[in-house]
Amino acid sequence: MITSFRWKIVVLSVLVVLATVQLPLVAGASKPKYGGTLRVALPAEPPGLDPTTHTAAVIDRVLYNNVYQGLVRINRDGEVVPSLARDWEVSEDGTVYTFYLREGVSFHNGKKFTSEDVRFTFERAMSDATTVPHPEYFAPIEKIEAPSTTTVRINLSRPSSIFLFNLARGDAVILPRGVEGLSSRPVGTGPFKFKTWKRGSNLSLTSYEDYYDRKLPYLEEVIFEFIGDVNTRITSLKSGGIDAIAYLSSPENAVSLKELGSIKVLTGVTTWEVILAMNNSRKPFSDPLVRKAINYALDRKEIIEGATFGFGKPIGSLMSPTNPNHLDLSWLYPHEPEKARKLLKESGYPDGFEATLTLPATYELSLRSGKIVADQVKKVGIDLKIEKISWAQWLQRVFTNAEYDLTIIGHSEAFDISIYGDPNYYFNYDNERLQRVLEKAERETDEKTRSQLYSVAQWIIAEDVPSAFLFSAPSLPAMRNEIMNWWKDYPIPAVDVTEVWIDD
Amino acid sequence: MPGYVTRKFIELIITLVLVSLAIFLVLRLLPGDPAQIVLGINASPESLARLRAELGLDKPLHVQYLNWLRGLLTGDLGNSIFYEKSVGALISSRMAVTIPLTFLATFLSITFALPLGIYAAIHHREPGDFGIIALSQLGISVPAFWLGILALLLFSVKLNLLPSGGFIEWGASPVGAIRSLTLPVVTLAIIQSAALTRMTRSSALEVLSQDYVTAARGRGLPEIRVLSKHVLSNSLISIITLIGLQMGQLLAGAVIVESVFHLPGLGRLLILAVEQRDLQLVQGIVTVLVGAIITINYLVDLAYGILDPRIRLT
Repeated sequence: MITSFRWKIVVLSVLVVLATVQLPLVAGASKPKYGGTLRVALPAEPPGLDPTTHTAAVIDRVLYNNVYQGLVRINRDGEVVPSLARDWEVSEDGTVYTFYLREGVSFHNGKKFTSEDVRFTFERAMSDATTVPHPEYFAPIEKIEAPSTTTVRINLSRPSSIFLFNLARGDAVILPRGVEGLSSRPVGTGPFKFKTWKRGSNLSLTSYEDYYDRKLPYLEEVIFEFIGDVNTRITSLKSGGIDAIAYLSSPENAVSLKELGSIKVLTGVTTWEVILAMNNSRKPFSDPLVRKAINYALDRKEIIEGATFGFGKPIGSLMSPTNPNHLDLSWLYPHEPEKARKLLKESGYPDGFEATLTLPATYELSLRSGKIVADQVKKVGIDLKIEKISWAQWLQRVFTNAEYDLTIIGHSEAFDISIYGDPNYYFNYDNERLQRVLEKAERETDEKTRSQLYSVAQWIIAEDVPSAFLFSAPSLPAMRNEIMNWWKDYPIPAVDVTEVWIDD
Repeated sequence: MPGYVTRKFIELIITLVLVSLAIFLVLRLLPGDPAQIVLGINASPESLARLRAELGLDKPLHVQYLNWLRGLLTGDLGNSIFYEKSVGALISSRMAVTIPLTFLATFLSITFALPLGIYAAIHHREPGDFGIIALSQLGISVPAFWLGILALLLFSVKLNLLPSGGFIEWGASPVGAIRSLTLPVVTLAIIQSAALTRMTRSSALEVLSQDYVTAARGRGLPEIRVLSKHVLSNSLISIITLIGLQMGQLLAGAVIVESVFHLPGLGRLLILAVEQRDLQLVQGIVTVLVGAIITINYLVDLAYGILDPRIRLT
């Protein structure tokens, strides 16, 4: 009810704005043009094309909202907005969600979209026969009913405030009933349909002529080119071989590309939070004083300058600046080496200590930040030995077995603060108070109270610093000047090009 | 001859089995769980266990290996976890890039290297010889990725003559395919020909000092005939050995050039398979590569017999 009410207000205010502002004023800036082929470079290729059974963010980058749509989606401002459901209601106690589906929607295989498809999708995800990476997203679902072809009622066993957000993720996109072989042939309802996937090269989508919103998409064809080498991506953009780089992983190139004059680079934020994770069950990191000392020893400005050429955004807790619940706590631990030394003395390490900083060699941001971090903490007496390991080794040793002292890694999932409430996560961080607050926030149905609870959770984490929070990685999409309406921020791992057009 | 072929064939089988066993064991010893890589860092333990069972990773090692061998005997290399596609189909699609790349680069490298090497040998210790030595030294020391980037900047960004990377399939446009292979082939050929020029020069020098060359010249044979009949054909043994080695290297070792030019070749597929712990795919590629390298060696052996009748294939 609350969400539905809120959505109506948004619609209402848009109508008011449209009525008062003369339309030509808006359109006068430049009117979207139709047609054209957009070539987008991505650094990695998706492992199969089924976002519901694979967690790889790159599947969502290619397919989210372009090909696949959920009942709701995340828009460019990070809000949950209607997609296949045009509206919804939530019961007072927060356990019954009623979705009113959009009519006139068809899948790319020609079949009509109905409430039965929604039921099929969620029942498939919850079935034992399907391996999904995040069964917890669907765990609260008790019963799914389809009272009519355009209504779906979902009963939850307990209220879950994050349920709607979870339905907006790539994991919960709606599939056509009885579909198989999705890993090589995606079938969705989006404005683009799948055309070809040349493994090792590219994947192309073409506009879907029967898309329910007649105005979209603007582009005729989109080709995602998988170019692993950073220099090749840059030269391809310069030579016109591609039109856009979805993520500029080398921020130093942002400046030189802009200087060309023919290329623009947008600076936004992502859900990618780079943190210095500490093993809270190991000495000396089990002592909060030591963790605080490390935080005071860090100069985030220098780290952001060195690792991202100043494009990153400082963070103080694990909530992306793209999230409406975000609370800026980056000021909590300013760069005060004197205080760090004092805290170390108090905790019984007057001369500092030695530890190992394990870095995944595949992640440039981790490597760059790691060198600066090691240099900064050395000034207060903490001697870090840097150890570089492969991604597979990192997953095994650090993530699964928690055999590490310190590591630097980006956590890219949207809305993932709850990982600090899991004592078995690789941080080995067990804080009962935080666990209670997070649990409460997840059950809270009142939006305002919930937001306050998430503020409290962010505050507890920022204060107790189970990890040191470094920065939110910049989005930095780079493209030729004629590419219009690109997402500046990436509140969800998606390269949503449904509204992008080319001004040629 | 038939005995030779049978012997080589048995050799091939034994090598393949040993190599596949070694690769199989090494891959399982490497840290990194394929299921975790597929499902990512936030996957639940139940999902991981289920995927492991689906992939057959919960079975004992010897059962996994024997299953794979059984598949190999029926021509089935299994399925790639990453692409969820048959390994055989993936390898054959990559061959459309790797085979032309290997053969064209080798061909081009030979056309550079043989004349240059022989020229240098004839003009031993003259300015031309020093020039060629300096150039080939440069070619050996230049890293492939750097040369590739330079080529891209010049021919693609500045002159806009050739595509900046990617591969246009043969079926879509043969001209496009050749255009997308041009820069990578030239880059590889420059690097390969550097070593080959030096080898040609030193073997030709050795032959030039032989008595039969002096005798041939003494009999008044035209220089061109001396060079083609005596010098070149007698230097060819070591040259062909090097060409065989280089071709073997190109099949999987062109990975750096493949990355710079963003080509879907076999080398990149192998690297991806190792990174993703896509065990079936790694085993499949390595098996095919070992087979190809042994075949090349066999052809080189055959060439010895033709070039020098004293070498008998018994």
